[in-house]
Amino acid sequence: DTIIIIYSTIVFAWWPTDIYMAGISLVAWLMFFGLFLWFIIT
Amino acid sequence: MQVTEGIILLIYLVFMTIIGIYFYRRARQSESDYFTAGQSINTFVGAFAIFAAIASSSSLMGAVGSGVTLGLPYYFTYAFGVLAALPLAMFLISGQVRRSGAKSMPDFFHQRFGTSVQILSAIIVVLAMTFYMVPQLTAAGIIGSYVLGIEYATATIILGLGFTIYAALGGMWAITYTDLFQGMIMLFGAVTLAAIIWVDFGSIGNMLDSALATDPAFGDVTQPWMSYFGLFIAFIWFGIISPSVVMRNFASRDARTARRSSMWGTFIYIILFLSGFFITIAGVTLGIVGTLENTDMIFVSVVEEYLPPILGGIMLAGLLAAIMSSADAMLLAISAGIAHDVYKQHINPNATERSVTLLGLITMFVAVIIGIVIAINPPGIIAVMVGWVGGFLLSSFGFPFVLGIWWKRANKIGAFTGMLGGAVLFLILVASQALPTNAEPIIAAPVSLILVIVVSLMTSPPPKEQQDRVDMYHTHLDN
Repeated sequence: DTIIIIYSTIVFAWWPTDIYMAGISLVAWLMFFGLFLWFIIT
Repeated sequence: MQVTEGIILLIYLVFMTIIGIYFYRRARQSESDYFTAGQSINTFVGAFAIFAAIASSSSLMGAVGSGVTLGLPYYFTYAFGVLAALPLAMFLISGQVRRSGAKSMPDFFHQRFGTSVQILSAIIVVLAMTFYMVPQLTAAGIIGSYVLGIEYATATIILGLGFTIYAALGGMWAITYTDLFQGMIMLFGAVTLAAIIWVDFGSIGNMLDSALATDPAFGDVTQPWMSYFGLFIAFIWFGIISPSVVMRNFASRDARTARRSSMWGTFIYIILFLSGFFITIAGVTLGIVGTLENTDMIFVSVVEEYLPPILGGIMLAGLLAAIMSSADAMLLAISAGIAHDVYKQHINPNATERSVTLLGLITMFVAVIIGIVIAINPPGIIAVMVGWVGGFLLSSFGFPFVLGIWWKRANKIGAFTGMLGGAVLFLILVASQALPTNAEPIIAAPVSLILVIVVSLMTSPPPKEQQDRVDMYHTHLDN
């Protein structure tokens, strides 16, 4: 017959609160792309 | 009272009740029909049903409210966690529990670990699901009192009994088909609202600029790291530990259908959260969040601002649909816990199927009355109450369930100790307020994991019959 752990660890271990794209923290963008990653691996 | 919205809401409620009456005869035919819709649900219906079961009031009102108040990173943490819930459940448990042939989570624990673990798990399901209805009833009361212009307590009672009637009459059949309709109306409402907002602003760039002009901290990480991580951990496990969601796998036609339903359910959920992204931005640009008594109401303010009354009524019916489609699944989990797992299996094994389904029906009404009594004076805000339920289920159920599927050596004493130890420690941490809100499972869940492993290894292995069952969970049956 659970990539999810590695990507989540990268997001929460890196936690780039001081990098911004279009005025929004990179943290939010990493999670935004994560939504599509979840569907692709599903 | 909002007349147009009120009429649409009443039409919606009547339609749901008609579905319940339509399925009454079929649902009462057998326990399998009442609790798992005869295990015959197809992919299309199953996808909307599992989406509607997991997307509750907190997915729409709670997520948008928290995004407007705490910033966009908080909104996406919410989405990032909850959208991984169905995939993680699919990777770790969906096909396996469907292959087990169980009717409920306690039923699964019975065949894997025996009677004592089944009874303990049934008690945990009934307690957790009864409390889980409280935030749903609270949200229903808030919307009902706004639209119908009646007292909050009266709205809570009317809407609470409203969804109990169709769930109790039609069992899993009615719940699945009302979920199909409710999932569609929820999706239609959210996408329509998001499209109108997009057209109004002209582009996503304009939307973000307007939001940042109104609230310069909208793009910032505003809370401590632990708040985001705790939220993520609580939600990512939700597809595995919530009996109301797991039961959808039992209703699927087969393991393949269960997987495909989860996949398309995830796709629908992504569309909902992308729509919520636009709604959150619109909520910020209204600039009124500081004036609201309850920030969860910002969603309703956006609906009022952007939608004409008829579309507004459909969107509010969609919000109620999100609440009811999750709460009815909780009722069914409580009902199965009492009628099937305790009464039929341990108190009166000779009970007829009709008497078991009748007890299930009565149990639902008792459970919703208890929920309504608590919801009239709710003990916390919606998101915190949902967090407590998720944390409690993760700390008690999470690891005995996953290890029961994947680890042959997990035995009855290990599972019982892990389940009871995690549950008791979680309740002690909540009562003592020793940790930040909703951070309890960060301590209690690992303790449960360690207890299952250590106690299982210190005691004798499970009988060969139970170990063979683990092989069966991972075996494809090719007819």
